[in-house]
Order: sequence, then C-alpha cells, then structure tokens
Amino acid sequence: MITVETQPWSVMVDHAQATYPNECCGAMLGAIDGDVKTVRLALPLDNAYEGAQRERYELRPEDLLFAEREARKNGMDLIGIFHSHPDCDAYFSKTDLENSCPWYSFIVLSIQQGKFHHANSWLPNMEQTEAAKEELTHPNA
Amino acid sequence: MPKILIPTPLRQFADKKDSVDVAGATVGEALAALTTAHPDLKKNLFTDEGKLRSFVNVYVNDEDIRFLEKDKTAVAGGDTISIVPSIAGGVW
Repeated sequence: MITVETQPWSVMVDHAQATYPNECCGAMLGAIDGDVKTVRLALPLDNAYEGAQRERYELRPEDLLFAEREARKNGMDLIGIFHSHPDCDAYFSKTDLENSCPWYSFIVLSIQQGKFHHANSWLPNMEQTEAAKEELTHPNA
Repeated sequence: MPKILIPTPLRQFADKKDSVDVAGATVGEALAALTTAHPDLKKNLFTDEGKLRSFVNVYVNDEDIRFLEKDKTAVAGGDTISIVPSIAGGVW
C-alpha cells in the first residue's frame, strides 16, 4: 500500500498538468514501514526522452542518483517513480513495463484535457513481464 | 575499501544496511564481494547468466561505469559505488 501526502501530491499533479500534453516524470521520497509506503516529498525531474514526449518519458540515471542522494540527505528513502499519461488512462503500458524496475512503486497519473483525472500505482515484477496494482491513497482519491 | 550504497528496496537483502564496505580493486570485484556477503542481492542485480540486469546502472562517484571501463573500472578506498536503475516508459 502506498499513501501520498498532500504536499507531494500537489507537486506531482501540478507537474503533470504543467507538462501536458507531454508526459512528466519524477521521483517520490518518503518512508517504508513494512508493506506501507508513505510519500513525503516529490521531486519533479526532466523528461529526457528525445522524441515525442506526448507518448514517452525517460529518466536520466544521474537524476535518479540525485534523487537518491536527496533522500539520504533528508533521512528519507527513494520509494517510487511517478509519470503521467496525457489523455490516456493510468494503466501500466508495455513500454512502462519493459523499462521499469521491480524495486519501486510506479504511480501513473492520467491527465485528461490538461486536468488530473485519476491515478494508479503499479509494482512490476523482476522479469518485467507483469505489474501488480498496488493500493494507492492520495488527497484526490 | 570502496563503499557500495544500497538502494532502499534492496536493504532487506543486505541486513538492512544502507551501505556496505567491500573488498575489491574493480567494480566487478566489489559487486562480487557484495553478492557473496549478501547472496539474496544477486537475483536483484544479475541475471541467471551472471550479467547485470538491463535496468541496473552502476556509478563510481559521479561517473557511469559504461563510460569508464565497465566492470573493470578501478575502485579504491574513498570511492562510492551507487546502483541506479534505468527507468523510462510511455503510453503504448
């Protein structure tokens, strides 16, 4: 189960709406207690995909390294990645799955006509062949 | 001894440590020492064929080893090795 607190949720939604019609991406920092994850800080990161960003995103590894260092500096953990699907539902696509990592939660925000519509969280498996839906709570839920 | 920083989700396989000091003169030796000391990390980092998983990048300090000498990149005391995933996606 993953819960996103109000402040990071606002950062995530604002970033996703501001980058519309392109996809956005970023890192989620917080705490893990057993199976319960709490997002306390969201870091918007650049979409580094060189091409149609309306339908693809790519995180630079060095930006994730920065996020990991920010987490350690703030006594938090890097616990997930978020990105948006402009004018599409918040499913976990084949491209999402094949370019994912099983260590993290992946929150997808559906942005419809420039406004937040809904979100889901996904947990990819080690082989990147399927992703389980994770229970997600956030201020707009 | 070089230090390997352990990403949060992998700490459960490393006695809950956030970093591990390992022996090794190269990145390959350091990662081998890490997975020998903590065998449950191996399947997270390497395929059954012993290759780094496609989503795993390794940095020595601020440098991606793909642009250095890959697993033969030299490391020494004071160096920090980071394990950073590759992540991308799209709507289709």
